[in-house]
Amino acid sequence: MHLKYESQLREPLVYGRKTYHDVTEEIIRPIEAKPGKLWYVGFYTAVALLLFGVYSVYRDVTYGIGQWNLNKTVGWGWDITNFVWWVGIGHAGTLISAILLLFRQGWRTGVNRAAEAMTIFAVMCAGQFPIFHMGRVWLAFFIMPYPNTRGPVWVNFNSPLLWDVFAISTYFTVSVLFWYSGLIPDMATVRDRAKTKLRKYLYGVAAFGWTGSTKHWQRIESLSLVLAGLATPLVLSVHTIVSMDFATSVIPGWHTTIFPPYFVAGAVFSGFAMTQSLLLVVRKVYHLEDYITIGHIEAMNKIIVLTGSIVGVAYLTELFMGWYSQSKYEGYTFWYSRANLFSPYGWSYWGMMTCNVMVPQIFWLRKARRNLFITFFISVLVNVGMWFERFVIIVTSIYRDYLPSSWSVYYSPTIWEIGFYLGTFGLFFTCFFLFSKYAPVIAVHEIKYVLKTSGESYKNTMGAIEREPVEEFAHEYAH
Amino acid sequence: MAKKKFVVGCFDNEEVLFPAVKKVRTAGYKIRDVYTPFPVHGLDHALGLRETSLHTAGFIYGITGTATALGGISWILTYDWPLNIGGKPHFALPAWIPITFELTVLFAAVGMVYTFCYLCQLAPFVKKHHFHPRATDDLFVMVIECTDKTNIDDLKGFLTNNGAVETDVQVAEEGWWWGRYDKDDEKTLEKEIVAA
Amino acid sequence: MAEQTLDFKEQFEVPSKMKTWSYALIGIGLLAFIIGLFTKGTGTNEEKAIFMGTIMYNTIFWTMVCNAAMFFICATTLAMGGWQMTFRRVAEAISTLVPVFGIITLVVLFYIVFTGNHEIYHWLDAKQVAADEILKGKSGFLNVKFFVIWSILTVGLWSLLGWRMRKISSEADLEPMDFNTGNAYVWKNTVTAGLFIVWFALTVGSTLPWLWLMSIDAHWYSTMYSWYVFASTFVSGVALITLWVIYLKNKGYLEYTNQEHLHDLGKFIFAFSIFWTYLWFSQYMLIWYSNQPEETVYFKGRVQGPYKGIFFLNIIINFICPLLILMKRSAKRNYTLMTFMAVLILFGHWIDFYQMVMPGISKDHVSLGWFDFGILALFIGLMIHFVGKALASKPLIAKYNPFLKESIVHHT
Repeated sequence: MHLKYESQLREPLVYGRKTYHDVTEEIIRPIEAKPGKLWYVGFYTAVALLLFGVYSVYRDVTYGIGQWNLNKTVGWGWDITNFVWWVGIGHAGTLISAILLLFRQGWRTGVNRAAEAMTIFAVMCAGQFPIFHMGRVWLAFFIMPYPNTRGPVWVNFNSPLLWDVFAISTYFTVSVLFWYSGLIPDMATVRDRAKTKLRKYLYGVAAFGWTGSTKHWQRIESLSLVLAGLATPLVLSVHTIVSMDFATSVIPGWHTTIFPPYFVAGAVFSGFAMTQSLLLVVRKVYHLEDYITIGHIEAMNKIIVLTGSIVGVAYLTELFMGWYSQSKYEGYTFWYSRANLFSPYGWSYWGMMTCNVMVPQIFWLRKARRNLFITFFISVLVNVGMWFERFVIIVTSIYRDYLPSSWSVYYSPTIWEIGFYLGTFGLFFTCFFLFSKYAPVIAVHEIKYVLKTSGESYKNTMGAIEREPVEEFAHEYAH
Repeated sequence: MAKKKFVVGCFDNEEVLFPAVKKVRTAGYKIRDVYTPFPVHGLDHALGLRETSLHTAGFIYGITGTATALGGISWILTYDWPLNIGGKPHFALPAWIPITFELTVLFAAVGMVYTFCYLCQLAPFVKKHHFHPRATDDLFVMVIECTDKTNIDDLKGFLTNNGAVETDVQVAEEGWWWGRYDKDDEKTLEKEIVAA
Repeated sequence: MAEQTLDFKEQFEVPSKMKTWSYALIGIGLLAFIIGLFTKGTGTNEEKAIFMGTIMYNTIFWTMVCNAAMFFICATTLAMGGWQMTFRRVAEAISTLVPVFGIITLVVLFYIVFTGNHEIYHWLDAKQVAADEILKGKSGFLNVKFFVIWSILTVGLWSLLGWRMRKISSEADLEPMDFNTGNAYVWKNTVTAGLFIVWFALTVGSTLPWLWLMSIDAHWYSTMYSWYVFASTFVSGVALITLWVIYLKNKGYLEYTNQEHLHDLGKFIFAFSIFWTYLWFSQYMLIWYSNQPEETVYFKGRVQGPYKGIFFLNIIINFICPLLILMKRSAKRNYTLMTFMAVLILFGHWIDFYQMVMPGISKDHVSLGWFDFGILALFIGLMIHFVGKALASKPLIAKYNPFLKESIVHHT
């Protein structure tokens, strides 16, 4: 066994004087108790939104996408904006779990489970938009390559839109596998303390017969490490491919080589903001302040300011290149359609700049990073800003195309477009409410794993080690 | 599947568990398994388990995915139905990299998870004998297989001396079977629990 | 007690063999420089440009690689990393080269711009610029005044902030820290590291590669370019740190650095090689896919012209090799293999810099030959000399760094 030691300078990841049993008890209690009033209010609101969304989609399918305010020039509007926005949000979970696992950032244990769940739900929402944007949704299976009686005619493997199909379905599958393989041991914990028959039965099924055998732990650790290693480039690839939907084209404002990494940074940025908003609520509602500590929130805010700044550098790079390229079209898109506040869509560009680049800079201040209200407020703003970003990219590049006679503006989505978007919120929150009620929102076994190194009461006993001279410490460790 | 007799020792602290594992093994007892509520690092080495080669399997699945994607796409676009797409060559390798990568990851991930479930016999409706319900909560449960020569009382005493907070003897099915956790079935019933 | 058990060697002494080697390499380099000066330096305009271009890509490469060592320190500091503490001084020693190589770079670049060497930077030729709408439009950025000011500012602030980071590091040699002083110490580190990173993003992450390198192909542009250069130099920087760590380990120093740390350095090299490839692919594929002449001009000469071999060598060394070799856990923990890979990666990205700079200067002739390797020897010699000196100037371990103990028990 390795010496358990962590510098005292690090904030504890788990507050309070806790035993392993306390951890189980506190995290699993909400599953066994009846949910509070707040939960019901939230849940039914989400379901109502979902139903409105379903009705909007129903109209869209019956009457066609003429229900939306898209036109010949602006052929992508709210739908694709929302798609990219949701996919972006779906990046934080896997990033937290995978990249932070590889970089061994201990604080991930408190937030990874919820973030992964959020990822899955966000990807589910994202998928709706391109599927229904197809118009004849009953023919959606045409996008899968399979031998058929139509020639056989194959899908176009050179098309970035098809890459999306592969990328997003792979990402969804791998995220689910990653998430669920971590959930199995915790499901077993719920199963083994279940009092009611129904719960015993359901969690018995969900836990796959997990026993906690050492060999199984060894394998599951290896599995999650490799899945993390796979998921890390996968996360990058997904938003990279989404960015290529735009960047492989020859449309000014879309075709720029920085798009892949800049989209990824933006995705992580919005994903962390969404995680932050949700967790601030979850920790309050389920009284998990000891596990999702201020330290966790601060760490996530640091990532928000980092990725926000990376995105900022990318915005400025693009703007600069719009001028430096000395291409009339690039210049027009960047300096007229976007950066000019008084052009038809100038407001969206400056909305994006304000919410994504300027506002998060406040997180350079430690006080702001540790303030819950500021954090919540900014995390919401960031998501608004990231929505603007996608809107800016999509609409400002196409509303004035090469043929001035077809220039048009697309100011107002119809109620059904908005309804569809609200519907995905409904889907997202319905799923999230169900998840937070029926599964442990924090990875119980991972908290137990770090408890004796990073738990507050255990850390306080390490003072003696802390004062030991380095040579002695190293000597002791070697034996 | 056969039923066997086991001596079970429960520990509540991994710092006590490690020396105990060492002593039990040097005393010549055969530890069948230790059930823990979370992965205890180094325990697999202490028990003398070999490293898992799950990642090697993952690598092979991944290579399969790469080959499937590259083989499939190049067959389709250069042989089965060549199309001029944007004036690009039929063998447009750069455009195939994204899908190739995705399928590599997909095959590797799905393959590994299935292999993992197969190796650990994990699936919905699989049921196994659980030696202690708190093994998924806060107890480290050491299970020792009895042979004809095992003196059960000695062994229990030995475990208690080495820090076990609870010991008992159980006769249990060692494999898995299909079942539901809300129902007690015959395979779990035969238990002769002796208080420590 | 602590004084008595000081049996580990934490004070580096420059061995005479190392001195000999560094002087020999510097000698070879100077010789190559002088011979080059009289052969290439007196030849045709193109030969002169090749002469300057070779020195230029070498010096820019080494400056940025050494600066990447400081980036490594600052990034790990901001991430509250503990694992790197046992060998952090090695990275610090490498970063002391930033002012040295930085000044060489400035001298070389200023010589180019002040003598108006438009074979290298086309935008220096006033006549050509006046006749060229695009270059004329760019002259707000591509002009001597801005070039000089921005370059001095860049190198100056890199050096200054790096110096400050190293100075803070020395404070951890003096006395043990308790909770409060430890926190204050970490905070001080964080502030300087933050400033460095911001400046790094404004230079390496954006403006500087445009100015120094991308402007060689003056018409061409790519928004990815700077991030690509960053990835290239960062992975080389980590490779250089690894080499020095292994060297010191072989000499019996760095007692607390072990395979676990090597493993993580290997992970960095692996991960950032993949990251470099990702950026490489994104840039290449997007330009290939949209196939616009003003963009493809950059790759035309490189992929289909005389530089074809070097172009593909670049990918093989910097992507295929690390992917296949470093994937295995045991490879990352093997000192011999890691030495080999670190050398290979450094060489590969040196070639990468070569193919970024030279095709823009000499379209039809691949000049890679004795002169390139001679100049490379000069820089390696200087690097060994100065890093050795810097290593010997302080203990190899900041004994009272609050995260040092975490690094000792570090386990991958």
